[in-house]
Amino acid sequence: MPYYRCVVPKDAIPFEQRQRVAEAFTDVHCGMTGAPRNFVHVTFAAGGAGEFAEPYFIDGGNRAGRPPELKERLLGELKRAFREVTGVPADQLGGRITEGPASWSMEGGHVLPEPGEEGPEWYGDTAPAHPVQATAEPANR
Amino acid sequence: MVEFKCIVQERAVGPKLWGELEARLADIAAAVLGGSARDVAVAFEVIPHGFGFRGGEISTTSLVRGQIPPGCAQEVRVDLMRRICDMWCEVTGCTVEELVVSARDRPAADA
Repeated sequence: MPYYRCVVPKDAIPFEQRQRVAEAFTDVHCGMTGAPRNFVHVTFAAGGAGEFAEPYFIDGGNRAGRPPELKERLLGELKRAFREVTGVPADQLGGRITEGPASWSMEGGHVLPEPGEEGPEWYGDTAPAHPVQATAEPANR
Repeated sequence: MVEFKCIVQERAVGPKLWGELEARLADIAAAVLGGSARDVAVAFEVIPHGFGFRGGEISTTSLVRGQIPPGCAQEVRVDLMRRICDMWCEVTGCTVEELVVSARDRPAADA
């Protein structure tokens, strides 16, 4: 968590834009919630017929327990960032953020804390880290 | 019914491992939650290389998303997730930092 699945038309978003969207979502989420950057997951998938009303859709999943206003602002900022990178018109982009209890998830071998109950280690060097690959551009898909 | 959806990065967890992962997920669920391993459904979804990111970088992280019968005690849920973490790392060779496991209550309508 958080997990943002961007449902897009097949081959609509090139790698360079996908990476910029992922970076922007990480900036937005961490800037608004204080979560460590390496907790933010972003994936892109081709939308199935009729999965959502809009051809582009941000399907987010977060820990429950934040104020509804924050959730609304967060989704608005994610949409703004997505449109800024991709140029997708506002009426073509939908989104939602669903929530689940933090205690139902384990990341890096640790049960996630509830929002607002994160200890100092959450923000510091001992926050669970993860290895990343060199960001080389993959074959064009 | 217990269901697991395993979301894996294309180059991190290959299809050759899926059979063992599926069997061992079913065994773990049956051992921790009761019931039969035959009643555990496991599906895999592959994120193609360049389509999955973590912290803005290309991801190697797998997500194992479980749906279990509602009302499970938290210590049982944690035991389930911890056993899955241990098994997944053993089978795939990934580190625990490359794994997110969840065990959510199945929605009441599906219970």
